[in-house]
Amino acid sequence: MSLMRQIAWLILGVVLAALVGAVGLSTVSARQLMRTQLELKNADNAQALALALSQQQGDRELIKLLVSAQFDTGAYEFVRWRGANGETQFERAEAPRPGQAPAWFRAMLPIDAAPGVAQLSNGWNAIGAVELKSHSSYAHDALWLTSRRLLAWLLVVGIVAAVLAWAGLKRIRRPLDAAVAQAEGVLAGSYGQVMEPRVPELQRLTRAMNAMVQRVRDLFEAQAGQLLVLREQVHHDPLTGVSTRKHFLAELDAALRRDDGPAVAGLVLVRLRDLAGLNARLGRGAVDDVLLTVVSALQAYPESVAGCRVGRLNGGDFALWLPAEGVAAETARALADALRASLPAFGPGVQVALGAIELPRERPSNVWLGEADAALARAEHQSEARGDFVVEIVADPGIGRAQGEGLWRAQLQEAVSQQRGRLVEFPVRDRGGHLLHLECPLQLQLDADFQPATAWLPLAVRARMTAQVDLLAVELALKAIAADGQARCINVAPVSLADAVFLPQLRELLAHWPQASRSLLLDLAEAAATEHFERLLELGRQLRPLGVKLGLEHAGAGLAQVEKLYQAGLDYVKLDASVLLGVAGEAGRAAFVRGMVIMLRSLALRVYGEGVVDEMDAQALWDCELDGLTGPWVTASPGN
Amino acid sequence: MAAWLLGPVLALAAYDASRVLEVAASRGPRVAEQAKALVRQIERSGTAEELQRLKEINDFFNRRLAFKEDQEVWGVPDYWASPLESLEKRAGDCEDYAIAKYFSLAATGVPTAKLRMVYVRARLQGQSLAHMVLAYYAQPGAEPLILDNLRPEVLPASQRSDLTPVFSFNTEGLWQGVGQVTAGDPMARLSLWRDLVAKVRAEGFL
Repeated sequence: MSLMRQIAWLILGVVLAALVGAVGLSTVSARQLMRTQLELKNADNAQALALALSQQQGDRELIKLLVSAQFDTGAYEFVRWRGANGETQFERAEAPRPGQAPAWFRAMLPIDAAPGVAQLSNGWNAIGAVELKSHSSYAHDALWLTSRRLLAWLLVVGIVAAVLAWAGLKRIRRPLDAAVAQAEGVLAGSYGQVMEPRVPELQRLTRAMNAMVQRVRDLFEAQAGQLLVLREQVHHDPLTGVSTRKHFLAELDAALRRDDGPAVAGLVLVRLRDLAGLNARLGRGAVDDVLLTVVSALQAYPESVAGCRVGRLNGGDFALWLPAEGVAAETARALADALRASLPAFGPGVQVALGAIELPRERPSNVWLGEADAALARAEHQSEARGDFVVEIVADPGIGRAQGEGLWRAQLQEAVSQQRGRLVEFPVRDRGGHLLHLECPLQLQLDADFQPATAWLPLAVRARMTAQVDLLAVELALKAIAADGQARCINVAPVSLADAVFLPQLRELLAHWPQASRSLLLDLAEAAATEHFERLLELGRQLRPLGVKLGLEHAGAGLAQVEKLYQAGLDYVKLDASVLLGVAGEAGRAAFVRGMVIMLRSLALRVYGEGVVDEMDAQALWDCELDGLTGPWVTASPGN
Repeated sequence: MAAWLLGPVLALAAYDASRVLEVAASRGPRVAEQAKALVRQIERSGTAEELQRLKEINDFFNRRLAFKEDQEVWGVPDYWASPLESLEKRAGDCEDYAIAKYFSLAATGVPTAKLRMVYVRARLQGQSLAHMVLAYYAQPGAEPLILDNLRPEVLPASQRSDLTPVFSFNTEGLWQGVGQVTAGDPMARLSLWRDLVAKVRAEGFL
């Protein structure tokens, strides 16, 4: 029985006991009082009558008359004159009156008052005694009335007391529930703080819990801070603060592979020309300033557009990744204008060349870099001839759908409503090769072929159809789980969280498959935690009781910036390939991954690695103690 | 303390010599000595004929108590003293004699039905005064013997033409039906007589 119910029963018991006790005690003592009064009345009346009878010189008729008169004018059960030898000389009697009190009440509380007895005399002669007894029914009636009245009053008082107690319990209950919810949250990995209640005991409890939660947060923040520093050292160029060549290439690789980017993206290369000559002419310090000026122009993009990446490829070469269609040319021109305005301040001969390309994201990274290099080389060649800033743009990806958006939307809707989708499966394995779960991206049959998410997800986002698509994927996964019992993982688009119908429909869907729901995992991109945090919390609150596990995918450096990650109540995190690629070759990258693992473990999260391509990296990641890995290498290696 | 909390304490309705001595001892050596004499007297008389008992008990109190008004002894106009109280003061007025004799005789085993306290009008040297005596009825309806302090010998009523009886009472029926007295019950002390009986019971008489 819960604490609250125990207290409620206790209060009810005490109130009832007090009620019954008060009524019972009062009735019993009132009965005693009435009996005594009745006995005194009997005795006093007998004495008074005896006094009168003793003055009649033993005249029998007079004595009888007086006895009758006393009987007739009072309320007596009997008035009796006994002779000196105890024999009855004269008696007037009447059966006990019924009264208003019920029989059971009279039987339960009898008022057996003793008759009054007084001695009679005629001069020196004793002529016996007179005995009389009053009716007790009126005493019973009075007792009955007072008992009922008392019961009624005490019932009112009891009800008021019960209402007050109930209100009091509710007051206690609120902070208690909050404390319990906090404790449950901590158990589930959500480190939230609650208001301290005014009840001293609960206050101490809550204070302790809050202090504990605060300590966890501090620990987390300290680790996150350390990670940020480490990231600066490992991933970033010490002079300019942008990604190093190695890290940028890993980021580019990961950006090309992820399934939720645009179909077509852009890459801009910027080269500060004749770096060696500039070093000789201006000195290293001035050249560093020039480099910083170039970088500051580039940094404006990742600071304002999510997903943009800036890297220093070498010496004076910089790259800007633009995850959007049709902006590469414009961006390159804008950059050229900005640099044209700022660079002349460092003197003549400070020139840059820019090359911009736009390609389908499905092309491998070496094609991207080759095309971009070619464009840059052409620009440099021209600028040698013209001695000015040159922007060379190759922005003809040659793809893009001829059809309009309306057709796309119709195709997408048709595919979803007819459930023309399938899940492809990539295993996530632990160190021993055991299958942990299957990562299941959805493919939709839009025209003839099944298309991966890269092909339709950007359109689905634009058409606000991600919720329906995600629900389809979840349904397919639940069916598959019900068939083979294998845990499966589905990607949910962050924008689906913002869709009001998504969560109710998801719950309804899960309610149909209660058993399969326990083996379902939902992946959300980092953006879900940064942009839809409240929705994420709500999702966790509603789905956790159903056994569904929640995690973040493509988690990288941005994870350290997710505020309140300790409050999110997640089950696992999948680290992005951009963080993991090349860990085998560089101790710093491995240290960063290890730091992330330690930090996430402190929040009771499981940590998986994405996009592992070779065995060296895999081995290095196992050494970082990840819980599981996925990616081409894992898919290719035989399971255990 | 416990007795106070419990309030009404049951007093067994019987003469208890040790209780009398105990109560007397708690009130000082003087009254203890008197009580010892009384207990001895009751013990001795208990084996004698009833007429003999009357005489002995009558003499015992007539000898030991001096006649004094309540105002002088107790400082109140009317006070009904228990036997031990009277013996403690070695004095009493008419009803104190009658009371002491009544309860002492009851203690020797005389049935209280045979005893009555009688209010009488006494003529003394031409004056008329309210007085109380103890009457003993050998048989119901028979002529009583009168125990009085004005005339120290036990005499039949017919030889006491100086006394005119008015009203009589005793402890018969006082506690009828209940069978036990609640000595601490404030309701039981409403009249002088009831108050006295309760007091006497607490002292171990009756």
